Amino acid sequence: MSVAVEARGVSKAYRDGARTVEVLRGASLSVAAGEIVAIVGPSGSGKSTFLHLLGGLDKADAGEIRIGGELLDGLSAARLAAFRNRTIGFVFQFHQLLPDFTALENVMLPGRIAGRPPAEVHERARDLLAEVGLSGRFDHFPNQLSGGERQRVAICRALALDPPLLLADEPTGNLDPATADQVFELLLELQSRHRTTAVLVTHNPEIAGRCARIARLDGGILEPDREVFGLPRDEEPRGAGAELEPPE
Amino acid sequence: MASRLLLRPWPFPWLLALRYLKSTRRDAFASFLAAVAGLGIALGVAALILSLAVISGFQEALRGELLSRTPEILIDLPPGADAEAARAAVAGVVGVRSARLEVRGSGWIVDGGKVQPVELVGFEGPVPAFFPGAAGKAPGLYLPEGLATRWGIRPGETLDVVSPKPTLAPFGGPVPRVRSLPLAGTYTSGKTQDERERIGLPREVAESLLGRTNRKIEVTAGGLDAALAAAPDLAAALAPVAPGSVVRTWQDLNRPLLFALRLEKTLTFVAVFLIVLVATLALVASLSLVIASKRAEIGMLGAMGATGKTLERAFRTLGGLIAGIGLLLGGTGGVVAAWVLDHYKLLPVPGRVYFLDYVPFLVQGGDLAWVLLLTFALALLASTWAARRAAALDPLEAIHR
Repeated sequence: MSVAVEARGVSKAYRDGARTVEVLRGASLSVAAGEIVAIVGPSGSGKSTFLHLLGGLDKADAGEIRIGGELLDGLSAARLAAFRNRTIGFVFQFHQLLPDFTALENVMLPGRIAGRPPAEVHERARDLLAEVGLSGRFDHFPNQLSGGERQRVAICRALALDPPLLLADEPTGNLDPATADQVFELLLELQSRHRTTAVLVTHNPEIAGRCARIARLDGGILEPDREVFGLPRDEEPRGAGAELEPPE
Repeated sequence: MASRLLLRPWPFPWLLALRYLKSTRRDAFASFLAAVAGLGIALGVAALILSLAVISGFQEALRGELLSRTPEILIDLPPGADAEAARAAVAGVVGVRSARLEVRGSGWIVDGGKVQPVELVGFEGPVPAFFPGAAGKAPGLYLPEGLATRWGIRPGETLDVVSPKPTLAPFGGPVPRVRSLPLAGTYTSGKTQDERERIGLPREVAESLLGRTNRKIEVTAGGLDAALAAAPDLAAALAPVAPGSVVRTWQDLNRPLLFALRLEKTLTFVAVFLIVLVATLALVASLSLVIASKRAEIGMLGAMGATGKTLERAFRTLGGLIAGIGLLLGGTGGVVAAWVLDHYKLLPVPGRVYFLDYVPFLVQGGDLAWVLLLTFALALLASTWAARRAAALDPLEAIHR
């Protein structure tokens, strides 16, 4: 199951004392159902902000965002929470696992929040953890897991309710290169197996290059989408992104 | 051992609260504050139960003492009323066990050079129940034990009872009415300092001293509650025979004291409840600390779709659980302590000074229910206040702090 993502003319500014910092200026992006898109850009370019807006964690000042046709702006806080629960799985740079819950319980949380039957939620969490090779780690608490394991648990948790959209903010940013590679491989594999639409933010060109498409965010403007299918994995994606830069 | 908490079919806020209650123990600061809050509530509840129990115990004893000296019902007859007809009407009311005519008034007793102003109570037949220690004895003059001891009078010795009502003598103008009577016995006086001494004497003697104006009917109905129940019927029965009669129950007769006792209890409740109030503030602090230390997790729960309401409910439940543990500890401790103190009479007081030789404790169901309910309600209110902060957290800000 997957959904299309449509963002049009999204702007966002933050007030920092008397100063207003414009982070996004009319950014637009469309992602087809089942597609995986990487958003790249320098630090502070607003990549994460854009992702949070897509996920309904923040409200845009202008523009509109539709997930599977649903306009996020029109939803109340409670309905937005329910929508996030049902539709979106988040993976953050720092795993954000709940330290008081075991790996298995962390993966069960979205299901329990949704009010699904405990047995069904349990079964699904076990399957997912087994799928990422953590069968032996069910009852370990996050502080008993390695960085890579934690992030794998976080990915399982994001996919626990089989959401049609996966949003990942620097999912491997906190891992050593070898582990980062493994975890990302796993993410791609799960994404394609579950046919999930995915948008991920990264500053790692190697990782961005392995996505079906790259969108480059610079100066608060997201480049018009450009097909980068077929980009050789070892090719510098920065070049591909650079082509998308707006004429100065 | 793997926890099966998340497999339980309970609402999500409960799961979260139960897990946080357990995990709080691992966080030294949070567990310290939670313990302070829980123990504070326990202490407050136990203190409330004990202080109310000691007041109830004393009140019960005092009431027993007091009421043994008070008629169950006293009817004031209007001047000129037919006392016998009124008595017959009263005796016919359902629930009335006895109705006796009585005369009351002020006077003095005189023994040689000693004079004491007293309240004269003229009764019919044997000594009534409100002269404890002498009740049921043959008619005669009865003095409070203390007065008899002070004056050194023994039964059989003669005393003068003087009335303020004068008799006009043919020569020499008004002469006070005096009767000399032998002391028949004494009764135990529980009088408080500013209360007048009461002496008992046969009705005929009292009437000869006071005249037939101040007549009353003393009614017994076989118990305090029965007396309260019978009182309205008495007034109705008296209306045709002796209009203008005033029916006063033991409650009316002791209204100022009963009011003072109730006020004392209420004020004690308010004062001791301050402990609970302080403990609930500790509960707010405890919850706030837990919420502050779990900001990122709360944010993540929000990102996963937990609504503000869910989070608020979870932390309110956590506060309720901490308070509940305190209530259970304090409630059990208070009730058990009150029982032990009362049953084994562990707190002695000088029996000659007070009318009791130990401090009595009586836990009343109504008091207990009030203490538990009010404390729990206050704790829930405080928890809700703290929990709102969790609900108001912006998930994004919480995750990235």
